[in-house]
Amino acid sequence: MDELEKLYQTTYGAVVRFLYRKVWDADRAEDLAQEVFMRLFQHRPEKPRAWVFAVAANLARDEARAAIRRRKHLTLMTNDPGQAPSRIAAADEIVEHDEQMAAVQDALGTLTRRDQEVLLLWDAGLSYPEIAQQTGLAVGAVGTTLARARRRLVDAYDRQHADDSRDHAAHS
Amino acid sequence: MTVNMRMIHETMRHIPEDELHAYLDQALSRSQCVEIESHLASCIGCRRERDSIAALRDRTTALLATLAPPRRIAPSYELVSERAAARSARIAGRWRAGAWAASVLLAVGLGWGARSVGSADVITPEIAAEAPSASPAPAATTDSASAPAPQPAVSGEALAVRAAPASEVRPRRADVTPPPAVTPPAARFQVADRFPDAAEPTAPILAEPAGTMLSSGRLPSESFSGSTGALFRTVSWDRARVERGESVPRIEGLPVMEVQLAGSRGDDSRPLMVVAQQLESGQVIRTIEGPATDVNQLLSSQRSDASSPWPTMDEGDGIAGGDGAMAVRRGDRILAITAPLPSDSLRAMIRRLNASER
Repeated sequence: MDELEKLYQTTYGAVVRFLYRKVWDADRAEDLAQEVFMRLFQHRPEKPRAWVFAVAANLARDEARAAIRRRKHLTLMTNDPGQAPSRIAAADEIVEHDEQMAAVQDALGTLTRRDQEVLLLWDAGLSYPEIAQQTGLAVGAVGTTLARARRRLVDAYDRQHADDSRDHAAHS
Repeated sequence: MTVNMRMIHETMRHIPEDELHAYLDQALSRSQCVEIESHLASCIGCRRERDSIAALRDRTTALLATLAPPRRIAPSYELVSERAAARSARIAGRWRAGAWAASVLLAVGLGWGARSVGSADVITPEIAAEAPSASPAPAATTDSASAPAPQPAVSGEALAVRAAPASEVRPRRADVTPPPAVTPPAARFQVADRFPDAAEPTAPILAEPAGTMLSSGRLPSESFSGSTGALFRTVSWDRARVERGESVPRIEGLPVMEVQLAGSRGDDSRPLMVVAQQLESGQVIRTIEGPATDVNQLLSSQRSDASSPWPTMDEGDGIAGGDGAMAVRRGDRILAITAPLPSDSLRAMIRRLNASER
């Protein structure tokens, strides 16, 4: 099996997940993942796995910028400052959005961009050196960043969970 | 050793949190692992810390696992790689490597109907009526697409190629419908309706590759204002080639009707060059090449007819009213580029633009 084919078989799902956690739209994530791999097969870079995630991150970033532009426009059009932008996209696009997923998404949203990136890249299967290369961090700093990101994610999630439980208790 | 010093010593020996993460993530070298494991064997505090970090790590993974899209079957490797190959082939076939990047600015078709560069059988009677002297019988007189040598058939005084009467032009094919106009981003492409009375379907065709755009810069207003083209010199193809060498823009395979150079701006900068060529359909296409600011200025200047160096000409007028005049006929097409492109790339682009209309 060709190296790229093997990479495709083993990484496609991870790339879709990685993208999904950035664009929050399953169809869009699939489209972008296919775009990433088409580019991979065209360019055949030296370090294909790291390359794939770097391109995926770039595409997701472009997508996010476009979404921000659209949202700004939408906000202007509707003149409805009450809607929190990050939740507009989420509410529209994730139809079957169970509570836990929403809570984790929110918790992830409390992390800094860099912490998010490092965490998602790690979860996608990249090694420390690969993460370092993509994020511009020193390899030694990846562990520190991951340690912080993991703790913050779990803390934010637990805090939210505790708040929800209190709310439930208050209403009942 | 005092108690304090022993405590400091103990603290220093403990494994930092990030190293435990890296250890559990298998991101450490073999020797680092051995060192950590030997410490863990003797330090209950660090063992507890390791267990707690392992639990944190597992929880993070479990939480992130909920953030997954619905599971779907991935498209087959063959499918995606075939698509990639097809795309590569398309690109290779159309653009000479490197020429495309950062060079094409924008192409504007004025009155660009659903006609193919390569096939002349869809020319419209409207065009013929508007520009009788500019419409040769397509099949009979110009068949540049099949001509092997892309050398200009005519240079300078080029009226000879425009001889056939309009009656020879075949009527419009019934199934050809005007293409939808491509709406340009408002701020950058204002040239779409520059000629509000231009020939039927005014469908600006825009090509906007990455990294190129019209600059918002402006020439000093006197450069063009109040001029009816006095700054342009009409020169022969040969003369243009002597002066500007390979940089004179030309679409491969089309006869050159006229070459015009803008007067020098007093330095060695690239001049604006405008090359008029005849499409197989009989229409004229003008390729403008020059610095982005100048091209932009030239295109912008067409808004106000009074100061335009390109007066729009009415039916029956000659294409150029004499040396130095620059005329755009209704239905003419304009291709504006801001860097020299090889003639075959321009050719490919024209074909591409045409294809994209369908």
